[in-house]
Amino acid sequence: MEGRPLDDQALVERARTGDVNAYEALVQQYQQLAFRVAYQVTGDAADAEDAAQEAFVNAYYALGRFRPGAPFKPWLCRIVANEARNRRLSAHRRIALAERAHQAQASGEAAPSPEAAAEAGEFRAALLDTLARLREDDRLILSYRLFFDFSEADMAEALKVPKGTVKSRLSRALTRLRAALPADFQIASGGPVDG
Amino acid sequence: MAESQRLTEMELERALRELGPRYPYPPTPNLAVAVRRRIVARPVVPVRPFALWRGPARLALAAAVVLVLAGAAALINPTTRDAIAHFFHVPGVIVSRVSPLPSVSPVTPLNLGRRTTLAEAQSAVSFTIAVPATLGAPDAVYVATEVPGGEVALAYTPRLGFPLVKQTGLGVLITEFRGDLIPEFLTKEVGPSTTMEETSVNGDPGWWLAGEPHLVFVQVSGTDYQVQLRMAANTLIWAHAGVTYRIESGLSRADAFRVAAGLP
Repeated sequence: MEGRPLDDQALVERARTGDVNAYEALVQQYQQLAFRVAYQVTGDAADAEDAAQEAFVNAYYALGRFRPGAPFKPWLCRIVANEARNRRLSAHRRIALAERAHQAQASGEAAPSPEAAAEAGEFRAALLDTLARLREDDRLILSYRLFFDFSEADMAEALKVPKGTVKSRLSRALTRLRAALPADFQIASGGPVDG
Repeated sequence: MAESQRLTEMELERALRELGPRYPYPPTPNLAVAVRRRIVARPVVPVRPFALWRGPARLALAAAVVLVLAGAAALINPTTRDAIAHFFHVPGVIVSRVSPLPSVSPVTPLNLGRRTTLAEAQSAVSFTIAVPATLGAPDAVYVATEVPGGEVALAYTPRLGFPLVKQTGLGVLITEFRGDLIPEFLTKEVGPSTTMEETSVNGDPGWWLAGEPHLVFVQVSGTDYQVQLRMAANTLIWAHAGVTYRIESGLSRADAFRVAAGLP
């Protein structure tokens, strides 16, 4: 493994033959993404860690069924999301996620300056809160696209949906997010909601 | 407040993109160690030609997988794990037979700790370092102080009678550590083509592992000691008075025992 690091495909190929070091390189590379995807589903750090760990182990044993040449990242994320669903939160824990998002927002970043910053902070807090209460599949597609910067092809693979439907699903998720925002935040730069 | 306008999809997208890097995720845990440990405890059945999966071979392989799973369950269950460690009598070492043996890519350089002198290593560990008379002063000494009680590695370059070992790049590698303090320090996975002989070294119970390289997994649970996984050559391993000694070399059984005779 001299010189530049091996790409996903080469690492997957090695891992398929039982090379544990190659697989560990993949784990190192994707553990943050896996944990965050799991957290988007579970809203609980311990559950997310369990789900991500289980997903990596299960993915390793499923490598024999992995289609050579296919992208590893969305395939892994699909396994992660499934594992995370298996640990799905009870309703009150999902609310805990929203509360934690609130607290993190309140105690977190130093506000750059006056009212605009305060308003922006409030908007972010409202977004976080609303996201946490959103349907899980909506939250997941929004995260893949807007937080993790997945391509449409990767989203389709991760969500196991036809590529042609990704755009419309994303759009519907955005619409539902907007509708679920507090009324004050459903407008562009302040002012009442029209219609 | 300016004019009224419904937040557009694009604006909402932009707001979410900006939110992404500030999302209050908990810190990402290090999953690699746990994942590796679980995989090593239950090696993968490598992708094989279809023919192998027919008839009796398939049954044999299925049976082997069941055995591996049983072994993995034993390793994962703390009670059984203690029992295994106890059964093998060498503190700090868990040896198990697995089939098939997972492969790993070579690790270079060997992570033996900090290069030092024998005298300095002695002051850093909690046991008396033993140097075999047959080999004399080592060519290099390493010490790892993150290991409870310390670990010392004595490296001997290849020479007449001590051939080069591909896995270490050395002739002989001797490691010494307080096995009584770290019961799970070394996990050894031995494949079907490796001899695994329970033996007695200078009157203490030990193991002679020879033939095809076996897999060794080094860790100190609950610390940030860097976990290592590599293939190892012929190894004689035993413990005396709480200290575990390990000789890795390309030597025959008789020659390895001759080196061991110069140690406690």
